[in-house]
Amino acid sequence: MELFGITFMLGMAALAGGFGNSIVVSRFLDGIVRQPEAQGLLPRMLLGIALVEAVPIIAVGVGIFLLIQGGYFG
Amino acid sequence: MDAKSPQLELGFLQFDVPTMIGTILTCIIVFLITYLGARGVQMRRPGKKQLIVEMIIGFIRNMLHENMDRRNAERYIGFAVTLFLFVFFANQLGVVLMVTGTMETDLPSLGLMEGDKVSWFKSPTANMSVPVVMAVAITLFAHVMGIFTHPKTYFKDYLNPMHIIGEITKPMTHAMRLWANIFAGEILIMVLVTVGSPLITGAPLIIWIGYSLFIGAIQAYVFTILASIYIAQKVSPES
Repeated sequence: MELFGITFMLGMAALAGGFGNSIVVSRFLDGIVRQPEAQGLLPRMLLGIALVEAVPIIAVGVGIFLLIQGGYFG
Repeated sequence: MDAKSPQLELGFLQFDVPTMIGTILTCIIVFLITYLGARGVQMRRPGKKQLIVEMIIGFIRNMLHENMDRRNAERYIGFAVTLFLFVFFANQLGVVLMVTGTMETDLPSLGLMEGDKVSWFKSPTANMSVPVVMAVAITLFAHVMGIFTHPKTYFKDYLNPMHIIGEITKPMTHAMRLWANIFAGEILIMVLVTVGSPLITGAPLIIWIGYSLFIGAIQAYVFTILASIYIAQKVSPES
């Protein structure tokens, strides 16, 4: 049951991270198609991706930590 | 995958030996780079090393000027450059240098027995203590500077109790973001190295190592920019 909870958390984190990143990247692509000079905003987009990725990756970190603590690893 | 992490106990304190080795190594690398770059500084004909250090400082200075007013940006540039260089090299250390050895003899003072696998080098930021200490220190510093610069208006924000929750979650997410990224990256590298045949895991391993280097650089940048934003919120003149 614990294993199911952890894996469910990891899966939901991956799902949420994928959707969040897709919104950021699609808006950026929309922007540079409409206005090609906006390509200079690429570092800003990467910063946004890093900020969006934070919450799912925290879930992944905590999940792996729980897996190691529970002895499921290795 | 069953690599142990040797612990050193001193009273009620517990020290993680690979993290200590990694921290000292990162300090030496950062010191050498800045020392060699800043030695023999010339105005007319700058050398290659000087140009690299100047490029890093200019990059951080631009970032600070976007977030702070002019006077504060010049004041905190040393802090921000130090923080960026330390976190950057600490993140790359576990990707570049991951050495796992097997003990030949017993070492009871560190709790190691013969035949144990030990990874001596890993990123200091992959241990939760290091980012938490840095984030809490930055938050404390920001609050103390806020009290000193705006003694009258500082406590006005706390009339709204939700603000206190925000102030507590700030250092938590600030530290966990860095820790979780580096920790997950190292664990995945370890899994790809130890599990399965190299024919299957070889290509993902190379891709993931490149991605880890990129993640390390981005996270160092994000950590520095968030630290500067948190300090700027407290010391900026208009608040």
